[in-house]
Amino acid sequence: MRRGDAAAAIAAAIGPDPIVVCSLGSTSRAWRSAEAPNPTYYGSDPMGMAASLALGLALAVRPRRVLHLAGDGDLTMNLQALLAIAGAPPCGLATVVFSNRRYETGGGQPLAGNRATDLELVGRGAGLHVVSTPPDAAALGAACGELWAGTAPGFCVIDVEAEASPYGGPGEHSGVEERTLFTDRLRAGTTSQESSS
Amino acid sequence: MDDTSPPNALATAVVAAGIDLVACLPDSWLSPALDTLDADDGVEIVRVAREDDGLGVCAGAWLGGRRAVLLCQNAGLLLSANVLAGLTHHHQIPVLAVAAARGGLEDAFYYQSYKGRTTTPVLDALDVPWHAVHDPAGFAVLGDAYRQAEMHRRPVVLLADKAALA
Repeated sequence: MRRGDAAAAIAAAIGPDPIVVCSLGSTSRAWRSAEAPNPTYYGSDPMGMAASLALGLALAVRPRRVLHLAGDGDLTMNLQALLAIAGAPPCGLATVVFSNRRYETGGGQPLAGNRATDLELVGRGAGLHVVSTPPDAAALGAACGELWAGTAPGFCVIDVEAEASPYGGPGEHSGVEERTLFTDRLRAGTTSQESSS
Repeated sequence: MDDTSPPNALATAVVAAGIDLVACLPDSWLSPALDTLDADDGVEIVRVAREDDGLGVCAGAWLGGRRAVLLCQNAGLLLSANVLAGLTHHHQIPVLAVAAARGGLEDAFYYQSYKGRTTTPVLDALDVPWHAVHDPAGFAVLGDAYRQAEMHRRPVVLLADKAALA
């Protein structure tokens, strides 16, 4: 599955209400390309922090759902965050991982563990509600429907193709500007599309 | 509850500051306060495996409009240097952390010494404000420290001596 197709399928499946916390690099570029209306916080940088940040946000906005859209490189930098998520008070957090076992933006170098590591098993071992890896974009929609169906936080690994994903430049906004846009949007109850139109 | 005893002083200050979410990684000096907070039905606890995850939880909570605090040992602040710098300079997100200040005069362990000597220089280098809490009454500053974090748009740290905690 191509990363952009996966992002588009997720956007269509979850609808506009869930808040999205998006990892850095190729995952954030794919999610931006989907032009989803969801309020989205882009967790760059430090690398690895998006998971715990998503957990804190989910604990603050209950009963609203929060989707952490992770890259496997970003997640594995802070893999133990899955334990905190599994053991936290109940909240509407689910995690979807774009996985191709490479640091895509950094040049395609393999992740630690490479082919030997099964992130789905890691999620299951942490105690998360694991939704099986969907084989294609059509099945991804149904998988998203299962993310919030368990008693434990949802977790789904999506196999994405290796694709060139070069740096896109400094971006339009600084970190603090992104943060301000996000919190203003969240507190005003508007979606991304509404606030940018 | 005796609010002047070491464990209750921190817990009382946390609740009085309107904080109802605690991310934590235990230190033996902090354990009594953590037990007190854990027994409070009005406070939710998130147990993290690394202190920088606790900072992430607190930052996310603030984004969503909820007050949180990280309780940890000062070694966790050293581990969290990258996140403290990112929150301070890049995202400008307020977070309050209360850390057991291990490695000081009263701490008779070789392996704690380096933490006492390096924590405050590292925080200063990161441009993270910090305040020392020497006794239970010192936690009266906790609410002001949270307000400072919000006004300065950055993490603020309280470094608590043993006498303040245990």
